[in-house]
Amino acid sequence: MADFLALLVSDAALGILLGCVFAVIAHGLNIIWGVAKVVNIAHGEFIMLGAYGAYFLNLYLGLNPLMSVPIDAAIGLVVGVGFYFGFLYRELRGKESMGRQSELVTLVSTFGLALVILNIAQAVWEHPVGIRWDPGFVQVGVVTLPLGSLYVAIASVAIIGLTDLFLTRTYLGNAIRAYSQDIPATQLMGINPTFVAAVGIALGFAVTMTGGALLTVWLPIGIDPVTIGPLYAPISFVIVVLGGPGKMWGSLVGGLMMGLIINVGQLLLGGSIALATAAAFLILIPLLLLRPEGILR
Amino acid sequence: MRLLSVIRTVGPTFWGIASFLVLLAAAAGRMPLVLLTLLTGLLIFAALAYSLNFITGLTGYVSFGHVVFMAAGGYALGYGVGTLNWHPVAGVALGAFVGLILALGIGAVTLRFRGVYFAIASQVTAVAAFYIVLEVKELGGNQGIRLSVGFDPLAWFYTIWVVLAVEVGLTYWITHGRLGYGIRSIKTDEDAAKTLGINAAGVKLLLFAISGLFAGAAGGVYYWQNSGIFPNEAFQLTFSLQMLAMIVIGGMGTLLGPLFGAVAVYLPSQFFLTVLIGFQFVIIGLVVIVIALFLPEGIVGILRKYVPELRGLIE
Repeated sequence: MADFLALLVSDAALGILLGCVFAVIAHGLNIIWGVAKVVNIAHGEFIMLGAYGAYFLNLYLGLNPLMSVPIDAAIGLVVGVGFYFGFLYRELRGKESMGRQSELVTLVSTFGLALVILNIAQAVWEHPVGIRWDPGFVQVGVVTLPLGSLYVAIASVAIIGLTDLFLTRTYLGNAIRAYSQDIPATQLMGINPTFVAAVGIALGFAVTMTGGALLTVWLPIGIDPVTIGPLYAPISFVIVVLGGPGKMWGSLVGGLMMGLIINVGQLLLGGSIALATAAAFLILIPLLLLRPEGILR
Repeated sequence: MRLLSVIRTVGPTFWGIASFLVLLAAAAGRMPLVLLTLLTGLLIFAALAYSLNFITGLTGYVSFGHVVFMAAGGYALGYGVGTLNWHPVAGVALGAFVGLILALGIGAVTLRFRGVYFAIASQVTAVAAFYIVLEVKELGGNQGIRLSVGFDPLAWFYTIWVVLAVEVGLTYWITHGRLGYGIRSIKTDEDAAKTLGINAAGVKLLLFAISGLFAGAAGGVYYWQNSGIFPNEAFQLTFSLQMLAMIVIGGMGTLLGPLFGAVAVYLPSQFFLTVLIGFQFVIIGLVVIVIALFLPEGIVGILRKYVPELRGLIE
């Protein structure tokens, strides 16, 4: 029994660390969803590209995943602006809200984008590649935590905090939030909607790709294009819905829940990671039925 | 005289598709094997495209998880033929039945969500189904099911032919009847449709169930031809992409669109398969992006717009 409890505590601690990374991955999607009211189905593929960014920075410059965060974020900003003008500008321009037709267009076109990126990545990078970064372990009571995961978890919470500060304390951040609430009123206040939306989407992509870089610590077999997108995109969707779309701290709450369900659920479901993952996904459906606005009020 | 008027009211598109199918059925026995295999594949994917058309095309609810019903049909066939020793055609019928039941179950819950939420719920159910199947020993776990059902191209062809013929007839009946008006009003504005007394939840569930039924049947034939089903391939999102690509390219919610789309996606992808392995999905994906962003009405929409003489014909 004592052994089981120790195992439970250790799994829960690891689940919390994993949940922090999940949170930052989902946070990128949350920002995009909050700003433009669209869902980027290719989200998982941009996580994968962020992970590859960290890999190449490690390979050529010797940076560890934490140090590659700012560079990945800068790349993400550029990619996000490109995505906005390629996929969303035509649908959002001059409109007061996202119509049914535009929603369908963005869902289908980003699904196409996901498959394009995924298949190119599969063709270019045939084998999984990993980053060697091992800062050691730390012993806390009965729990042994890998230091890499601990640093990454701290960085994740810091990133979410920083985006929250940006969105609530700066002029541009407030403009973005205003845009997400009421586009015509934003225009009446003299805010350029195109600029604000582009910045918001770019911020979302920067966070997403940063999340990909941080995630590399948690990939034991390395970066495998075939599994990252199809696994982490649905995880991000579930987290955002758990926390409530557009609620910035919702990503953290949803992410921690997801990490705990997967890690502790695995222990309780007889060591089957497949069943734990399925359970983590299926929790979405009763939750959507009972509380469609997310856990946080 | 009466017969003539029936022929006129049903319209040329329906007769065009019907004569195309009859022609294929008559010629099937005399075809070289390569052509027959190619046509069987085409009909399977056309059947999948029409099945997605029922829900995504007609109501505008985008389903990314349709691969679940296809895989369910395949697993039902695998179980019926491999474990129960049934004839494969009975296995296909079981696949259709399992697809129907699964769609009723999933649809009863997920169809309460709209737009983006439905799309996400459908994708999440597909991923969850994959992880669940990995743990089910009766379905072969992560090994899948291998079948020894023999090589019978004509049986494959005629089975999928019957499935597709029924499906096209049902699409026609649904879109041109009273139900069609209700469905179109749901696609345009669901709340307004409800106030007009349309049972939106019931109609959507009916369409989703029909959709699951045909996807299950088509999946059954696909995995019969494949002589087995393996989870890592069966749940790949590329199947969902192909179905979606077909109806987007052909024209969503139309009678002719999925068939055009199936021809436009399947034949080139078979060609690219021999020339550029792995890159056919890149090209399909690019075409989907361009069509979805710039020509959301698809081929049928373009024909309607630029060739007004055809407007009366392609309905």
